[in-house]
Amino acid sequence: MATKMKSRWADDEEDAELEAQRKREKEEKKRAKAEKQRKLDEQAAQLRLQEEQAAAAATESPSNQRELSSRPSKRRRLSPESAVPQTDLPPAKLLRFPGVEWKRCRSVEDYEKLNDIEEGAYGWVSRAKDMTTGKVVALKRLKMENAQDGIPVTGIREIQTLMDCEHPNIVALQEVVVGEDTSKIENIFLVLDFLEHDLKTLLEDMSEPFLNSEIKTLLLQLTSGVNYLHNNWILHRDLKTSNLLLNNRGQLKIADFGMARYFGDPAPKMTQLVVTLWYRSPELLLGAEKYGTAVDMWSIGCIFGELLTKEPLLQGKNEVDELSKIFELCGIPTEEAWPGFKRLPNARSLKLPKNPATHGSVLRAKFPFLTSAGSSLLISLLALNPAKRPSAKEMLDHPFFAEDPKPKSTAMFPTFPSKAGQEKRRRRGTPNAPVRGAAPDINVVDFSGIFAGREDEEKGGGFSLKLI
Amino acid sequence: MSHLSNPLASAAQLFSRTSDNALPIELQDSIRFYTARLTQAAGILLRFPQDITAQANVLLHRYWLMDDLMQHEFSDVSAATIYLTAKMSASPRSLRSITNVYAYLLSPSSSLASDTDPKNDPSSYYLSESTYIARRNRLLHIEGQILAALGFNTHVALPHPLAITYLQTLDAFHGKGGKAVAQKTVQYLNTALLSPQMLYLTHQPCALATAAIYLASREAGVKMPENEWWEVFDTEREELGFLVVGMKSLEGIAQEARERYGGGAMISRDDIRQELRKMGLVPGGGPGSGDAVEDEEAEMARMLDAKVSA
Repeated sequence: MATKMKSRWADDEEDAELEAQRKREKEEKKRAKAEKQRKLDEQAAQLRLQEEQAAAAATESPSNQRELSSRPSKRRRLSPESAVPQTDLPPAKLLRFPGVEWKRCRSVEDYEKLNDIEEGAYGWVSRAKDMTTGKVVALKRLKMENAQDGIPVTGIREIQTLMDCEHPNIVALQEVVVGEDTSKIENIFLVLDFLEHDLKTLLEDMSEPFLNSEIKTLLLQLTSGVNYLHNNWILHRDLKTSNLLLNNRGQLKIADFGMARYFGDPAPKMTQLVVTLWYRSPELLLGAEKYGTAVDMWSIGCIFGELLTKEPLLQGKNEVDELSKIFELCGIPTEEAWPGFKRLPNARSLKLPKNPATHGSVLRAKFPFLTSAGSSLLISLLALNPAKRPSAKEMLDHPFFAEDPKPKSTAMFPTFPSKAGQEKRRRRGTPNAPVRGAAPDINVVDFSGIFAGREDEEKGGGFSLKLI
Repeated sequence: MSHLSNPLASAAQLFSRTSDNALPIELQDSIRFYTARLTQAAGILLRFPQDITAQANVLLHRYWLMDDLMQHEFSDVSAATIYLTAKMSASPRSLRSITNVYAYLLSPSSSLASDTDPKNDPSSYYLSESTYIARRNRLLHIEGQILAALGFNTHVALPHPLAITYLQTLDAFHGKGGKAVAQKTVQYLNTALLSPQMLYLTHQPCALATAAIYLASREAGVKMPENEWWEVFDTEREELGFLVVGMKSLEGIAQEARERYGGGAMISRDDIRQELRKMGLVPGGGPGSGDAVEDEEAEMARMLDAKVSA
């Protein structure tokens, strides 16, 4: 350390003296091996210093520079250890983080309200204009339920997650503003990108479903957004068509992070009371406390099906009905296909029919116009076993997106009249995301009725039709 | 990505909050030190993992760059930040537990910062239902103020996990003293949280981790590489020097505070006002007069109480 320090701060005279001494030592050829190594290190340090100096003041001491740069070649001949040319050492490039700061919230009065867009489970959204820049944004008001606990944690988490995200397919949170009266913070608004449509409303109003090429573009955008989230350890946990926004340039953005949270590996214990019922995966319905990115992939599968038919794929009336609809569509789980599913909390009350071989997936039959690559993707996304579902990364590489028809360029996307942009209020047709609270336990959710009577039916004479 | 970096205080923020303030800098220092220490003690009693307590203290320092130090009672700001941080984390605590812990720490029975074991008198930290509700409403009010002042940016990246990774990179756990160095490193990082120099607001986690390792290895006598190893961890020599001095200086600040206020667990706004009088300065709550601020707050508390009882 001491010698290094000296070399770093030494002036030229001392340097020269050191140099002379080293030469003398060299002539005597008495250097021990350790000594030699030390010298080499020192030399490297000096070189680096010299390079820094050169960068700072290139013309300051040309003679010294020449003298220093002449040295390494001599050294290299003497000591074969330093075969790496040390002159190539670049000046250290240190990581510098962008200078973010924190600022006090601006007032909502800085925005001019244009029209209401919708009222969802977690808040009210309206279109507004920033009065200073004229930019049109969406203002989402946080619902202040449970005033006993202060500002709702779902809202804080949503803000935190959105602030950490930066991706073209994720809605950007520009800032958070509060009501005019700052003595009491109860009106909190998220200032988000305004997009003309949400997929749900759009699908309801279209006479024909999207073309295959358009579906691919939408799915690719959705999946790359989800891939970004998963790479950053975020689970969205409420993917559905009404949370996917689309602008008139064919760009899709994922919105509504009220259910999102950070996860880890191995997965931490989380509530199963997430994801809107129609998009909820079987492991969540069966009460798994440890789950991962596969719950979002299941939702993507449901969205894929919905894009194809314009109709939500699995419209269960309640948890039991949802699960039975899933088993009708995707087949009945077996121990081989989904090891360990029987140990999930809510699976104990589940009575499966004795001969599950007759109940394979009917997805292929439901979507006869889908290519085999397309249906293989859909079937894998809607695999009952979460481990069998592809990751977002794998999905992006799926051959379905490479085959004809190719994904349509977003610039070529059709435009639609925007409901959100006009003075029109609407209500959602889908059920809402589950409300925070106690997850239903087995006594409340009784799955024993799913297949009641099914076995009696099958025992009857005649034949049963197998759809593959 | 954001897991490694923090928003930093701008020079303007640091300057305006420390120099335009009516409070002399040494009083500001003691407020920041005592309050951060109180948060740390509460975190231990509430059985929080240290990351929650650490994040709470970072938020506390950030908030006090935006709002006046004298605006709220210091212990309330500490309780509100710890409540807020815990709420967002995987281990939230009820307001009742938090107010109970603070009542204990601020009572004469508190063992915080007292050399002898004080007599345990449960009645001195009993919180009646009405006192609890008043306190809870105060905390919730401050929570909103903190979030608004921070623009709802509650992201805090901590240097602790980075420090362990750096030590592994340096192969520190191979040798004998590895464990001791790691422990000392974490101790330095936690101590720095209490520093009124607000090191967590001026430096990124990588620099904090590097400086703590530098100090810890020096003290444990563990041999470090002879070249500029800190550059590998994205820390400049200048930064390293500054942080090393900053991290070592807390002891002096703590001693000075002890001489000034005695061995109490915590100081209050009244203590500060008293100090101001001693210095011949007018005790005030920043720009407005202290009484006006207090009236406003009392009124707020009354309004909140009325709302709750309604």
